[in-house]
Amino acid sequence: MSIAIHNLTKRYGAQTAVDDLSCEVAEGSVYGLLGPNGAGKSTAFKCVLGLARPNAGSITIDGKPLAPATFEFLSFVPERPALYEWMTVRQHFELARRTYARFDTARAAELGAIFKLDSAKRVKRLSKGQHTAVALALAFSIRPRVMVLDEPASGLDPIFQRVVLDLIIDAAAGGAAILFSSHQIGQVERAADRIGILNNGKLVLEGDLDTLKGNQKVVEAVFDSEALAPNGLADDQRVARIVLSGRIMRVYVRRDAGGIVTALEALAPRSLSVFDLSLEDMFLGAVDDGSTGHGNGAA
Amino acid sequence: MAAIFSVDPRSGVPLYLQLIEQVKRAVALGVLAPGEQLPTVKALALELIVNPNTVARAYRELERDQVIETSPGRGSFIRSNGALGESRRAIDDVAASVLAEAVREARALGLGRDAIRALFEQGIERWFESGKGKLS
Repeated sequence: MSIAIHNLTKRYGAQTAVDDLSCEVAEGSVYGLLGPNGAGKSTAFKCVLGLARPNAGSITIDGKPLAPATFEFLSFVPERPALYEWMTVRQHFELARRTYARFDTARAAELGAIFKLDSAKRVKRLSKGQHTAVALALAFSIRPRVMVLDEPASGLDPIFQRVVLDLIIDAAAGGAAILFSSHQIGQVERAADRIGILNNGKLVLEGDLDTLKGNQKVVEAVFDSEALAPNGLADDQRVARIVLSGRIMRVYVRRDAGGIVTALEALAPRSLSVFDLSLEDMFLGAVDDGSTGHGNGAA
Repeated sequence: MAAIFSVDPRSGVPLYLQLIEQVKRAVALGVLAPGEQLPTVKALALELIVNPNTVARAYRELERDQVIETSPGRGSFIRSNGALGESRRAIDDVAASVLAEAVREARALGLGRDAIRALFEQGIERWFESGKGKLS
């Protein structure tokens, strides 16, 4: 199954939480949504799940609008999982078994063991990480075809974070479409094949992660005297931004780093290098609103 | 077997390119022999903890480069002919770009043609002279 979000806008009063968001998650694909706190990720997820009504735009699963039947195949793990404090872990599994036709009891037992859950424990006695683990075990037990995971590893230790990655990769290999958010960039760059970066409700960078890594580079030129950006370079479509500091010029390139190198060679710099950008670099560059004092020109 | 591959998701180098280079390197060094079977996409994705589509993309490119062949239902294998030649070319390319980068860096540091040549000579002597300095 697949998820398609087209021109989604959600406003709360005067505030626009999600601003014209479009993205698609294909079958077998994992889409990592990144963004600072308050960027609009959770609001976007609520709209995808029909928990909030968009002001504009559409959401479709396999080309069709959300319908009650969609939820047979869809798992959602919110940032703060909604569990019944007074119920035991076992009772939660039993409730899910009665609710979901696709609930796989054997798989649930397996997941309970993987997360080392004590099924006799009441939820109110669980740690934050164990809360998350219960929600994840329930979510994966229906063998979902569509998943929406909001910070799915919050509160988990590094070993269980690894388990979550395994579960996501396994589900994607089985054809599920997975939309997830995480503040842990390391998780996103492993699990996701596509990413989107939200800032102030707007998608500021989006694409296939490996293609972005292949295209986005920093060209660094060192000059014998103070560096000055050549006319028009900041407006070049290939250039994201230019940072000047003394004799050093760094040009953040969206694509065609080779072409920018050629353009800068004409200025006879003392040295010229091309550096790769990690996802973290891209993220920080994309959400930089100028408050850090870096950045110059078109963002 | 998958333990012969290792990728760095934090790097700015696309993961599928890292994987392609690793496979070619393993073929060029004889770690993977012609006819040898590669893990399935899912198995390798879980082993390396990376997205399955990323592994699938690397396999597709390796197939286009005629390093591996995939038959539906049987899996992916190192090709009996062509794989070694292509892999050696790829390794040459990697070595050439590493050396080119070193020259560029040395020149950026202000070294001239002769100084750089002398350093290269020293480096070659160090690693090739009667096995001394060789990695165990």
